[in-house]
Formats: sequence, C-alpha cells, structure tokens
Amino acid sequence: MFQVLGSTQRFCDGLSRRNFLQVGAFGAGLTLADSLRVQAASKAKLAKDGRPSKSMKSAIFIYLPGGPSHMDMYDVKPEAPVEFRGEFKAIDTNVSGVQICEHFPLQAKMFDKLSVIRSVTSVDEHSDSLVMTGYPDRVNKISDHPSFGSVISKIRGSDAGAVPPFVSLRGMSRGTEPGYLGVAHRPFTPGGPGNANLKLAQGVTSDRLDDRKQLLTSFDDIRRDIDTSGTMVGMDSYTERAIEMVTAGVVRNALDIKKEDPKTLERYKGIEQFLTARRLIEAGVGFVTLSYGGWDTHGQNFASLKKQLPPLDRAISNLIQDLHDRGLQDDVVTVMWGEFGRTPKVNMNAGRDHWSPVMSAMVAGGGLKMGQAVGASTAKGERPKDRAYSVPQVLSTLYGAIGVDPSQTFPNGSGRPMYIQDDRDVVKELV
Amino acid sequence: MRPLISAALLGLFALPTFAADAKLTIVKLDAFPSRIAINGIDDAPQLSLTGIRDTGKPIDLTAEAKYTVSDPKILRVDANGRVFPLANGAADITATHGAFTAKIAVAVKGTEVAQPINFANQISPVLTKLSCNSGGCHGKISGQNGFRLSLLGFEPELDYTTLLKESRGRRLMPASPDQSLFLLKGAGVVPHGGGKKMDVASEEYKLLRRWIAAGMPYGQEKDPKVAKVTVFPETRVVDRQSRQQLVVLAHYTDGTIEDVTRRAQYESNETEVATIGEAGLVQTLSMTGQAAVMVRFSGNVATFRGVVPRPGDAPKFEFPVQTVVDPHTATKWRELGISPSELATEEQFLRRVYLDITGTLPSVGVVSQYLADPSKSKRDTLIDKLLESPEYSFYFANKWADVLRVKRRGQAERASGTFSFHDWIRDSIATDKPYSEFVRDIVCAIGDETKSPATVWYKEVTTPEQFVDDVSQVFLGQRLACAQCHHHPYEKWTQDDYWGIAAYFGRVGKKTIPTAGRQNNGQNQRQSIYTKSTGGVTNKRTNKAADMKPLDGEAVTVGGDDDPRNLFVDWMVDPKNPFFAKAVANRYWAHFFGRGIVDPLDDMRATNPPSNPELLEELAKNLVENKYSLKALIKTIVKSRTYQLSSAPNEFNKSDKQSYARYYPKRLQAEVVFDAVCNVTESPSDFPGLPKDKNAPKRAIELPDESFASYFLDVLGRPQRISACECERVNEASLAMILHLLNSDEVQGKISRAGARAEKLAKDPRSDDEKVTELFLLTQAKKPTPEQLSLARENIVKHEKNKKLAYENIIWALVNSKGFLFNQ
Repeated sequence: MFQVLGSTQRFCDGLSRRNFLQVGAFGAGLTLADSLRVQAASKAKLAKDGRPSKSMKSAIFIYLPGGPSHMDMYDVKPEAPVEFRGEFKAIDTNVSGVQICEHFPLQAKMFDKLSVIRSVTSVDEHSDSLVMTGYPDRVNKISDHPSFGSVISKIRGSDAGAVPPFVSLRGMSRGTEPGYLGVAHRPFTPGGPGNANLKLAQGVTSDRLDDRKQLLTSFDDIRRDIDTSGTMVGMDSYTERAIEMVTAGVVRNALDIKKEDPKTLERYKGIEQFLTARRLIEAGVGFVTLSYGGWDTHGQNFASLKKQLPPLDRAISNLIQDLHDRGLQDDVVTVMWGEFGRTPKVNMNAGRDHWSPVMSAMVAGGGLKMGQAVGASTAKGERPKDRAYSVPQVLSTLYGAIGVDPSQTFPNGSGRPMYIQDDRDVVKELV
Repeated sequence: MRPLISAALLGLFALPTFAADAKLTIVKLDAFPSRIAINGIDDAPQLSLTGIRDTGKPIDLTAEAKYTVSDPKILRVDANGRVFPLANGAADITATHGAFTAKIAVAVKGTEVAQPINFANQISPVLTKLSCNSGGCHGKISGQNGFRLSLLGFEPELDYTTLLKESRGRRLMPASPDQSLFLLKGAGVVPHGGGKKMDVASEEYKLLRRWIAAGMPYGQEKDPKVAKVTVFPETRVVDRQSRQQLVVLAHYTDGTIEDVTRRAQYESNETEVATIGEAGLVQTLSMTGQAAVMVRFSGNVATFRGVVPRPGDAPKFEFPVQTVVDPHTATKWRELGISPSELATEEQFLRRVYLDITGTLPSVGVVSQYLADPSKSKRDTLIDKLLESPEYSFYFANKWADVLRVKRRGQAERASGTFSFHDWIRDSIATDKPYSEFVRDIVCAIGDETKSPATVWYKEVTTPEQFVDDVSQVFLGQRLACAQCHHHPYEKWTQDDYWGIAAYFGRVGKKTIPTAGRQNNGQNQRQSIYTKSTGGVTNKRTNKAADMKPLDGEAVTVGGDDDPRNLFVDWMVDPKNPFFAKAVANRYWAHFFGRGIVDPLDDMRATNPPSNPELLEELAKNLVENKYSLKALIKTIVKSRTYQLSSAPNEFNKSDKQSYARYYPKRLQAEVVFDAVCNVTESPSDFPGLPKDKNAPKRAIELPDESFASYFLDVLGRPQRISACECERVNEASLAMILHLLNSDEVQGKISRAGARAEKLAKDPRSDDEKVTELFLLTQAKKPTPEQLSLARENIVKHEKNKKLAYENIIWALVNSKGFLFNQ
C-alpha cells in the first residue's frame, strides 16, 4: 500500500497546496539548476517510461446503466417461485457453494478470482452519482461530492506521470464530476476535447517541436525563486511531461487497441472498451470507468439479458484473467454494478422494474479476498437477509484497497472539511 | 511520532541556538502566573518563565530555568516548569536563571479528598483532546462501530447518556473501572479500530478511571461552566529554532481559574513557521514569518500569535510613504527583520497594473508611449486612467459574478436573467456604486427580475441555509456553514448565531411568472421577489422559530410592513460593523497581492488572525471614510509603494510569503490567459450562443455567466460557480492545462491563422531584432537578452523561405513561458 500523501487537514485546496508548499519550502532561493534537480527528484517517483510508480494502485469501475437485474446475474434464486426466479438457471462456480447465472459460464470457471456482494442497498435514481461518488444525485445537487476518479486524480497530483490519472470511456456524467475538488480533476475523455492534444497539433512536426522546445528553454528564463508557491516549478515538470506525452504517446498508444495481437482483439471483439481499459491501466492511468449495455429492463428482461450477459461474461473473464496474467491482480481493483437491483417479482411484460432495497456488486482484485459471495438477499431476493452494505461502504472498501484513506478530508467551497466518504465501515469479508 | 520528530529537530539545531545564546544577556526574569491556587491532587498547572533581554526583547526560559521549592513536601516542579501538588499548604517556587530569580507563591488545598468531577468540564475535553469525538471517528453523524459522540463534545449531556446507557451499560463498570470497555478500547488493551489513544499510566487514563470509579457523576446543576479561555502570552516575538511555552487558563462562571494547558487542543495555521505540541509548547522552525496557534477548550477558543524574525541584525531601509498602506507594511518588515525589494521597473509595473486592474495586456503602442512618458506621476495617472476603462468593469464584474454565482446551468431560458444581472454588476462597478449600496441592492433585491436584475441572485440562493452561507462568506468574510449543524469548531459561532441570520430570510417571498410553452423546472421561470408580512425559519437546534439576530448582536423584531433584510443590511453596512468593510478590503487586497491579509480571504476567524491587523484595520477605515468607494480602495492599494515593489527577492526577504516585502507572482487566471493568447496571436474568438456582430463580446473576461463551452477556459481552471468561494477558481498548474497550451489545435490554430500576428510579422519590413524585441515587450514586458535574440534570429534564418513558421515558433515559445503566464 502506498502512503497517502499528507494527513487529513482542513485548509483550502488541502492536499495539493500542501505538496506545493513542500516544494515551496525548498523553492525559496532556488536557481534554475536547482529547480531542475527538484524535478528530477520528483521524477524518481515515476518509472522510466513516465508511468507512475507501481506502488500506486488503480481502479476500474464498470457501470451497467439502467440497473441490472441482480436475480438474473449474481444472485440467482433457483428455489424461489417461478414468478420470482425467472427464466434463467443457476450453475455452480469453481468455488463450492457459490452459484451464478447460467449465462456467466466463463466467470463461473474463474470465480476464485472474483467476489460478489449480494446485499448492497441503493437508491432509486437513474444516475451514476451514488456508485461513483458515494452520494445520491439529490445530495450532490447541493454538496457536489467528487467522483472516485477525481479523488484519485487529486491524490496522485503531480505524481500522476505523463498519463491522465482519471479516464472516462463513457463521457461525462454527474458521477464523473470532480465537485468541490475543482475542474482540474475532471476525467480525460477520449473523443473529448483533450484527446486531440495527445498527437502533434496540426502543422507541427516533431522536428519543429524540438525547435520550439529550444526556444522555450531560452525564453522561459524568469527566476523561479520569485514564486515560493511552487506553481512555476510544478509547471516546469508538467511541461516536460506534456511534451513526453505527445512525443512518446503512452496514452495515445494505450488507446490504440490495434497494437494488440489479433488473437487478443478477437477475444475482445464487441467488448473492445474492456481491452482499452486494461491497456490504460497498464499505461499507468489511475482510474478508468466504462459502461456496458443497457439494463433498464422494464419489459422483456430475459430476452435482453440473454443477449447482453454472454458478451459481458466474456468481457469480465478476459479483463480479470489478463490482469492476473500480467501480475496486476493485487494492484488493480475492479467493480461492476449499476444504479440499483430490479424487482424480484417479474412483471406482466416479462420485465423487472427498479428495485433499490438490494442489488449486487461484483468486485475483483486489489488485494481483497476473492472467491466469495458476501452477504445474501432474502429467499425471494427482496432485501438484504443479514448484513446489508451501503454503496459508500463498498466504495470505502475499494478506496482502502488502493491505499486511499476514505476518512481523508478535502475542503469544500465554504471551507468545511469534507470526508471522502462519511459512511466508512468496510465490507469486512473482503479485507 | 511527534515527540520523536521534535526531539530530532532540537538535536539537529541545538548548536546554532546555543551559539546565539552566548550573546544572550538577561536583565529581568518574569514568571507567569505569579500566584497559583491549586485545588486537588490532579491540578498540575504549567509555568511560563520569560527573560527580558538587554535589547528589551522577551525570551522563553521555562525549560532553561532552575526551580527550587521552599517546602518540598507541599509541591514539586519538573524541568519543564510544571507544578505538581503533594500536600495541602503554601510554598514558594523560586525560578533561577543566571543571576536572576522570579518567585511564584503557591497555595495548595483539597489534596486530601478526591475532587468531584464534572463531566462537561473535565471528561468531555479529554475525549476531544484524544480526538475520540472528531468527525473522523465517533463524532461523525453515524458514529463509529455503533458508538456515537457529539462532534467535538459540544453536547456533553448527550455524550453522557450514550456512555452510560447505550450498549446495556457495558462501556463503563464502576465496580471494576479498568474492565470498562471504554478504557480497554481507549488504552488499546483490546483491539480498537482507532488504535491506542492513551497510556494506562497517563493522566487522561487516571482521570477517566477515577470518574468511573466515582460512579460516573455528571456534576451538579450549580457547577460552574467555562466562560472563556485565555492564553499566555497572546503575542510574542520568538527566534527561529526556539520554543515558547504557552499557559492556557479556563475562566469559570464562578470566577475560578483553572490551568488547562494539558487539556486544551492546539493547531498552528503556518506549520512551516511554527508547530505546537500537545503540552502547549510552540516550536519555531527555520522560516521567518508569523504563525497563529489556535487554542480550544470546551467550546471556547483563544489565539497565540507568534512572530518569528530573521536572525541577525535587521537591515536598515528607508521606505517612502505613498499611501496609508506603506507605514504598516514597513512596520511589519522591521518587526520581522526583513527589508523590501526594489521598486519594480516601469515595464514590470505597467504590465502588472494592466493585468491586475483590467485583466488585459497593454498593447505595444501603450508600452512604448508609457515608457517614453517623462512624467514623475505617470504611475498614478495610469492607475486613474485604468479604473475608468471598460475593461476594469468587465474584469471585476467577472470576479463578483463568480462569488455571486451568476450561472444559468446551461438553461437557455435563464440567459436573459443572468445577462442582465451581470450587466447590472458591471454597471455598478463602472459607476463606482458605493459598496454598501451594491450589497444592499443584492441582499434586499425586490421585484420582477426583468426590472430588478439583482433579484437573479435569489435564483441560486433559494434556502435560508444558502442565504446564511453566501451572505456570511461573501460579505462578512465568515464561513458559518459549520454552525448550521453544530457549534463552529474554530470559532465562537453557535447554531443560534447561524439561525439568527437565517431568520432574516424568513419573509423572502417568491412568485414565478409562467412563460407559455416553458416547462417549469423550478429555476427557469421568470421570478419576482417580494416581502411577506409573516413567515420564519426554524432553528434546527431548538426546532423553534429562530429569532432574527445579527452576529454578536441582540435579537430584533420587525413589523409586518418592513423587510427584515433591510435591518440586516443596516447592521452590515454600519461603519462600526467589525466584519463588513474588512471582508471586502481583504478580498481586494488578495486580488492584488495574491494572498489576503487574512488567508484564506473569506475565513476571517478569531483563530485565523490577519498577518497585519493594523493594515487591515487601516484599509477598512479608509474604505468607510471614502464612503465605500471600491475605486478609492483600489487606489489606496495600488498606489502604495508596497504594491509597486519588484517580485525579485533580496537576501532578507527571499522566504517571505505573508508580509508583502515583495510582489508575489500570480498565475494569470483562465479568462485572462485566453484573452492574452488571442491578443498576442491577433486571433480573436467568438463564443457560442452570443451574437456575431461587432458589439458581441469577443473576450472571455466579458462573458456574463458560466455556460459558455470552452475547453481552454475549463482546463485553465475557470470556476463553475458552484460555491461562493474564490477558492473554486484553480490557478495552479495541471498537466491537461500545460498540454493544451503546448500542443492543441486551438492554440496552434490561433498562432498560424492566416492574417494573424505571425504572418503579419513575417511580412513586416522592420528588422527581425526589432520585431522579436516587440514580441518580448508585449508578452513578458522585457527586452530579450542578446542570447535570446540570436536564438530567435537563428530560427528565422532556418526558415528563411517561410518566415511565418519561425514567427509562429517564437510566439509559441513566448506564450508558453512563465514570464507570460504569470503576473510578476
């Protein structure tokens, strides 16, 4: 586990200012040569290729928009009456006593590498707010809590390397907003305006960029010691990394899945986003979120799921297996969930409606205990049977897994220290 | 960990300290307190010994002095100056340092019996000191693992019930106190999620144990309460790498005074200058500056202010006075033993004042004209001229629009409202409407938004809570939000203070005037504000109607025909109001100097004191005398010699960050960089959703609200106006920002556009040296060095056939240089 930078504190801008101050403390009286040395020292935290050091763990959040049916995926109830259990059968997994849906055969074979929490409670909102920030949309309308990815972005700060710390492969939404952490911690969205900046701007060749760098080095001769806030020195280190991003193209390459073996591409056919996510994580991105499918199955639930579950099964098993093959299973934590579960009783349109009293969350890696079904819902899948876990508690567990203390605070606009999560009990079975 | 670190520091720096001590000559020794009345065996007060040097400066000698006691059976004193009673009686302590002595008369009583314990006065502070009831642990709203305490112990009765009665009473076992879960957990004897908080041998443990053994008394109804807390000394000049022992006294309602140095909580606001230990020992570090230490005990706060001067002889300097600012800054520098930088050059000053007042770069023509002007008073003339420019009103309207949250949340129907509110703000600034009236017009806004633009403020301020939070933060420099749900942890403000202000909002009425075809979403309808004759706000603490009450004032009643908000504004704009003028003076000072005299600028707590109180006082006075003219305030600030200093440090002020002995460079804000890039490249922009004609706003500082999509502005930190805090604007560096400036089609497009500056310069018949020099003056307000000129020339030669490419490269490099991106 890497050490969380600094301790909890209450001043405006909290963490990054503190980091700057540390630079600033040395910064008084720095010559340019000194400041370059400071940069070099800070670069030591990065590997040779500009990636953040491996001790920083990462997270992948897979969002199933619409609210997937818990009873037709990870919480099947073969004993329940037919109007509850639905059309799908349960199959055994390679973990004894744990059954999942018949359309998840690949995950069943590797369930020792996965865990599912079957007793998560949620709210009835069509928004990714709760599962991404830990606070429902109605709370965030006023208090603007940050996305999990924005928190990682804030904490990684200047150690993020030549890669964006937070990438969203599903654009922007309430759940990807940085809230009170500030716009600097918005996600990088391929296809969004920042993406084009990764390749050389139009009309600029790499020769020309070299010329320009030479001019910049000469023209940018302002005394760094006049700025004790550390912003100037910070900019210097970003300049170097930004140029590296454009020339070495770590992120660009990561986003270019054609660089993969054709066999791999075949494995990920139709579910390429999962491959992109894996490549981004390998490139050093701290947080990737993606979405798959549409799960708001008020009607024809089973027909829809029959189409969507097999590719999702392949996606999860490929992704998790790939992370294991690369030895990243403990360095990356993955979670998959939607807004809520769906009504245990099938409706007259062979559909299931919104059901927030209980849902499932699939969790993998991050050094958490795998091969378990944590918690349970009642016999007909209606509500948590024994131990209910809230979404913030699951998030706190995930924060803990990647070495972030969810009781760390950042100040909001009115200076109030805000905990990353207020409800911080963890899922005991996983840690 | 903490003691280890400070021990290591002491060891490291012991040598220089004692070397300096060699010259130490004491002429007097003072003890505080000079008389002590000890009550009970647990009462172990702290002494603080002060030597007066031959120079008149005081020095803390608490740990250096030797202590002898006239009757060692009565009491003893440890090496750190703490007094421990042993038996009833009277004895004198003699503290000796060199040839000097100080006497402390001590009377001890009550050691023969166990003193009664009061839960609120004694037990609750222990829970606070050990941070059991902090927001991170049991103090959070849902408690921790089933055990909840009130945040920072502000509700002792509730905590008492929780401890005694919850969990079937197993937390406390009077028959066998050590077996109480409370002590077992706290001392880490059994596993505790929060770790070991105290040692079994500690005073805290003994006190808690004794309380449990005594049957867990709550105390008597007539027991005194803490009325105030004081700290000795309140201010002190402390050398670098030195210590200062504090003594904290609780004053009870019955007039008794108790030493609570070990029980109070401390926090330093500048941990680079001074840190503070659990026992009230201030440790200064190797940085010159000032630090305030907040002291908190039982809901009361006090502040120690330490000034840490530069060691060695203070530099001598003359500092001509240009405005009322200068004597106060100079006094502070002398106190700190530092000296101001040189005056900024004319080039630097011109660029600086243009950017700070108008958010705009001076044009090449303006630069040469100004430099050629021989007038002695040209700086003042320039300032007067800039304050009458339209850019000034746009730039400051943008600043106010941020904190007044002029936003339409992407709803096109709201644009007419936000545009007219912005226009109203800009007009108020351009005509220099007195600030007191500006605020009254907003807070007391009334009528239809199409006729009364300031009512648009109430589109974002819709609840009593938002009213209190925004009014207090924007106009009073007080962050009251904490006091909505609990006593403010760093201030004296209570929930009743909070709801007292909220009550003024109680009769604000809103009507919406529906527009045909517009579906109501609660915010997008035309709105009219009126005053109701009845109505109120519920105080969340008492669940009763809150009385209208200004901060530190008496409750008021308002007749049914009057608007309570008027009374509230009367209280705010009264020249005697201690918050209002200071808040805006500090906000404007921070605008020009990059750091408020109180920092953060809208957090003017008693425990976050100004770095130069006299200066802030003077600015506020000056503002009131000038009938709240903001232009006059700006003139007072900007015409001062202090503002016009160079940013280059000298040997004495290089580590100065809070006393303005030089100008602190600031990164230009998003809109200013955007406009400057457009200006330097000669590639103006238009914005989506605005007219395209010649009168349309072409510049980012003119944008009326937040809903103009621009990746450039977002990535450089333009705020979304989600809060009333200027801190929402990000002026730090980020990778995405640098990447956008270095390598985006947007910036490259502006540089290389046909007809832009690069192309014009390529065709310009003047010499390349002349043109490059002009570019340097425009972007960085300085001439290029010979090396820079020759490098530019080399690049131009390389692209002899297509000089435009070379000029593009040169402009690119200048736009990405810190000399351009910073105001310095």
